[in-house]
Amino acid sequence: MPVVDLDRISKSYSSKVAVRELSLRIEQGTIFGLLGPNGAGKTSTIRMMVGMTLPDSGTVRLFDEPFRRDHLRRVGYLPEERGLYKRMKVIDQLVFMGQLHGLDASAAKARARQWCERMEIAESMDKKTQELSKGMQQKIQFIATLLHDPELIIMDEPSSGLDPVNVSLLEQTLLELKSKGRTILFSTHRMEQVEKLCDAICLVDQGRAVLEGTMRAVKSRYARDRVVVEYEGDASFLTDPSITELREFQGRAEFKLRNGADGQALLASAARHARIFKFEMVEPSLEEIFIRTVGGRTDA
Amino acid sequence: MHEVLLIARREYLERVQSRAFLMMTILFPLFIGLMIGGSVFAGRLSSSAKNIAIASNDPVLAREVAAEMEPAPRSTKPTEVIAPATDAERAALNRRVEDKTLDGYLWLEKKPGSNAPEATFVSRSSGDLFSLGGIESAIDHGIEREQLVRHGVSSGEIDAMKHHADIQTMQLRQGQLIPSNSVKSFFGAYAMMFLIYFTVVFYGMNVARSVVEEKTSRIFEVLLSTVRPQSLMAGKLLGVGAAGLTQMAIWILLISAIVVISAGALPGVTGLTSYGIHPQQLFFLVAYFLLGFFFYSAIAAAIGASVSSEQEIQQFSMVIVAPLTVGMVLITYITSNPTALPVVLLSLFPPCTPIVMFLRMSSQMPPAWQIALSMLLMLVFIWAAIWVASRIYRVGILMYGKRATLPEMLRWMRYS
Repeated sequence: MPVVDLDRISKSYSSKVAVRELSLRIEQGTIFGLLGPNGAGKTSTIRMMVGMTLPDSGTVRLFDEPFRRDHLRRVGYLPEERGLYKRMKVIDQLVFMGQLHGLDASAAKARARQWCERMEIAESMDKKTQELSKGMQQKIQFIATLLHDPELIIMDEPSSGLDPVNVSLLEQTLLELKSKGRTILFSTHRMEQVEKLCDAICLVDQGRAVLEGTMRAVKSRYARDRVVVEYEGDASFLTDPSITELREFQGRAEFKLRNGADGQALLASAARHARIFKFEMVEPSLEEIFIRTVGGRTDA
Repeated sequence: MHEVLLIARREYLERVQSRAFLMMTILFPLFIGLMIGGSVFAGRLSSSAKNIAIASNDPVLAREVAAEMEPAPRSTKPTEVIAPATDAERAALNRRVEDKTLDGYLWLEKKPGSNAPEATFVSRSSGDLFSLGGIESAIDHGIEREQLVRHGVSSGEIDAMKHHADIQTMQLRQGQLIPSNSVKSFFGAYAMMFLIYFTVVFYGMNVARSVVEEKTSRIFEVLLSTVRPQSLMAGKLLGVGAAGLTQMAIWILLISAIVVISAGALPGVTGLTSYGIHPQQLFFLVAYFLLGFFFYSAIAAAIGASVSSEQEIQQFSMVIVAPLTVGMVLITYITSNPTALPVVLLSLFPPCTPIVMFLRMSSQMPPAWQIALSMLLMLVFIWAAIWVASRIYRVGILMYGKRATLPEMLRWMRYS
């Protein structure tokens, strides 16, 4: 069952078209990456998904039904531009957010305590938000998003402002939620995170979906033309005309094969000159695919 | 509805638990208490003992004017009369005024062939209007007395002929005669009108500021994924309005307590009713505060949603302050002419209604139909203000970085 199903949605603001006939489906129990350069239309798409704005055309379906506001009780949304009430205590803030999502006060309080302990901020529960560091505030917002145990979790740049330890904590939590059957959509610029976590992606550029599908399907569209070789001895095989974009290290080289070049022939040539420990033809990284697809444009 | 109440509760608690609320709750009645105390003190000062001498070349005139001078309260000395006075005595009087042994003297010089003397009052201060008014009246009556004496009537006979009538003012309210004091009623009306003005402007601007704060802190992004903008605005207005009402209730109780307590302790201060403050009026105070608050705070919410910083709100604050100030500026005219057509029309014009209608009530209760009409018109305007504001609010709160132009706001209103 698709938890999110956008069918040719479009949105314009004054003369600027933010989203053009964008369609995507997110299956239950998967982690989905919404990618794209700044200004590509990601946030506009998400805002339509959670009913903050309405599409000019096209339809939004959540949980296999046309969008209704009461669906939002089953959704946890962490926006990119996020804020908290500065003068409110952390625990009061979390209870308030939980209540807005339909929890009663005592249940919200109990869950908030559990989450604060799990995210290692239990000692700050009675502090005012303005007394906390940015990273701590990020965690509180993360908790506020998950407090009501949503079936669909939408996170816009969830790891911005977090240190590597907390990024890892966040990733573990997302994988755990996925294992419980929750569906997660997240938008990020961190490609290594997407490669690690996402089952499927949609790359948006200038309001259009330019690349979409499961991670494997997306990568399989690109040839395995990148080679990593580890060797000992004569490195003259690296001057072969089929090699381009060469990066040499001590006993290791990374390069790209020119179109039509034969990897097997190159391996045979290399083995004649040097002792080969590793010769791997790897698929392009998501970052490469991203740059190739949006043409190096990162701030449209 | 549940989410509206949750938001209203949060807004209410945030305000009533703040230090600013506590400070205002204490300081405002203190300010009113100081005003009451100050007015009593000023009254005492103005009626404090004044030693004035009367000097003239005509002894009869000097004596009879002195007889008409109001005896200064708590003064042990009778008005000093120097007549016939010489230039040397005038120089001596000048020295006494400079030495502060005399507050002032009245120099009356009668020219031959003229009944009216030339009068000069000399004192250290440039002009005391209240003293001068009394002295002029004393001279006028003194001249009459002098003429009567010259026609053979004795001073004692003149005193016996004179009667002073004391006027007691009564106000007719719902068939009952209630003793009133126009000065105190004016003061009471002014204090209550100020209460409405202050709370409507303060809490209205508070709404605008809190919208901008939530907009700049981006908390809207989080809230709007669960709550409709209209519910967010409704909750905010209800919560802030309830905080304003709480503050007003505390103030009314505290000010009433101050007045009632000081009525026993301070001479010149009496119960609330002598200030024209009746239970019925307190009901209308609350009613017009609420009507004014919801009208102006809806406008304030739209202002807050269409700007990006608190500084920009100031530029729009005149939209709220100006119509309310009209009533304050015209307070004397309104309380003196509560049934004049311009006043009636102004009291039915919703942006001015809370202040002007309330001032009319303090002076003379308007017909019930006018009160009902004013409230009905206000409700219509409130509905319209909320309708427009919620549309601007809905779009405006997600727009960052620049102030909306009027055409943009009109376009936002068309979005549905």
